Amino acid sequence: MTSREAMSGNPGCGLDAAAYVLNALEPDEAEAFHRHLEQCAVCRDEVGSLRDVVDALPMAAPQHPVPRGLHRRVLGAVRREPGQAPPSARASPARWPVAVRAAALAGGLAAIIVAVVVAVTLASGGSPGARVVQASTGNAELRIAGGRGELIVRALPQAPTGQIYEVWLARPNHPLTPTPTLFDVTTAGQASVGIPGDLNGVSEVLVTAEPAGGTRVPTHAPVIVARVD
Amino acid sequence: MFGRIGKSTLRDLADEDVMARFQDGDARAFEVIFDRHAAVAFSLAYRICGRRAIAEDIVQESFLSLWRSGARYDPTRGSVRSWILGTVHNRAIDSFRKERLTSSRNVGDEGLAERLPAPQRTEAEIERRDDARQVRAALITLPEEQRRVIELAYFGGFSHTEIADLLGLPAGTVKGRMRLGLTKMRVALAGPADVML
Repeated sequence: MTSREAMSGNPGCGLDAAAYVLNALEPDEAEAFHRHLEQCAVCRDEVGSLRDVVDALPMAAPQHPVPRGLHRRVLGAVRREPGQAPPSARASPARWPVAVRAAALAGGLAAIIVAVVVAVTLASGGSPGARVVQASTGNAELRIAGGRGELIVRALPQAPTGQIYEVWLARPNHPLTPTPTLFDVTTAGQASVGIPGDLNGVSEVLVTAEPAGGTRVPTHAPVIVARVD
Repeated sequence: MFGRIGKSTLRDLADEDVMARFQDGDARAFEVIFDRHAAVAFSLAYRICGRRAIAEDIVQESFLSLWRSGARYDPTRGSVRSWILGTVHNRAIDSFRKERLTSSRNVGDEGLAERLPAPQRTEAEIERRDDARQVRAALITLPEEQRRVIELAYFGGFSHTEIADLLGLPAGTVKGRMRLGLTKMRVALAGPADVML
């Protein structure tokens, strides 16, 4: 930890840490505090220790046993699902396009077929001056210019009833950051959404389907992952 | 990568080691994780929603989504329990917020009085209840104003500005009470050996 990194110099340093770990900051405040954490070891330590307390809060609820039948229903549902492939059958990135790995995670054969076809046809693209990142499905690409991003989506199924697609930013060694970007696609499965904020330092842009209004922590596996070099 | 391992041996492994099997698609590993964490997950969902059927659905959906996304568990980001309970918490809050928009249900911590089966007195169950007693004691011994803002944020999903509006307080006061309350709980839960003087 360098002396420069130790303190951000902000006299209000640390005041937001508790609200942050309780997910009680407004989205723009949470994003600003998240950026602040990158420069402030004091706040990072505070967040780390307070997060342990918040992780214990579920135990403050009156404790009940698992209701009769729930174990059987959940295990039954799991056994009926295709489940995850064992490692020997799981494709490595060198053998399959990235698009197919993500589509396999989603578990849809039709999605795999579409993703393979679209991945082949997206070999080149993007406007001059922009960097195009092929996302995990061949149905999406991330265009970056001047540190700003635009996510172009094609042939993505509409979000299930009561849900919306939410965009997240991943940075190394940090929890996923929610963005205010919530969107759904047209009946043709298309959308073009601007990614708020600067993408410098961002390692991945992800999209998940979340309950309407979005969430502060993802509740579903991503349907799109765009890895930013 | 792993040879076949009996379920009784799986139960002796730490969560992170069981998760490695889980990520290989081993349904028995999933069952071990479910058995360890479903009770606290259900208790959390029920505390937030106050409806047994909704809490059961939330637990079922949460664990199924974990089964589908198990490959993305990252141990550097927290324990298996905090990963599971984070998912349950988010779904329960979303469900509670939807209901809040359509009804005037009281946001206090008492739900309907529903009869739930008596717990089995297993060693794990006794330990869970002891842990729960300790955490509950750390929370209820806080000054009322600090406990209230923490409960509204965590079990109600309210932002600090919403809490400020609810209680008629400045937003900064709410943040300050959250900080003081969590700091006191940190000391209470650390125990005398870990307190830095």
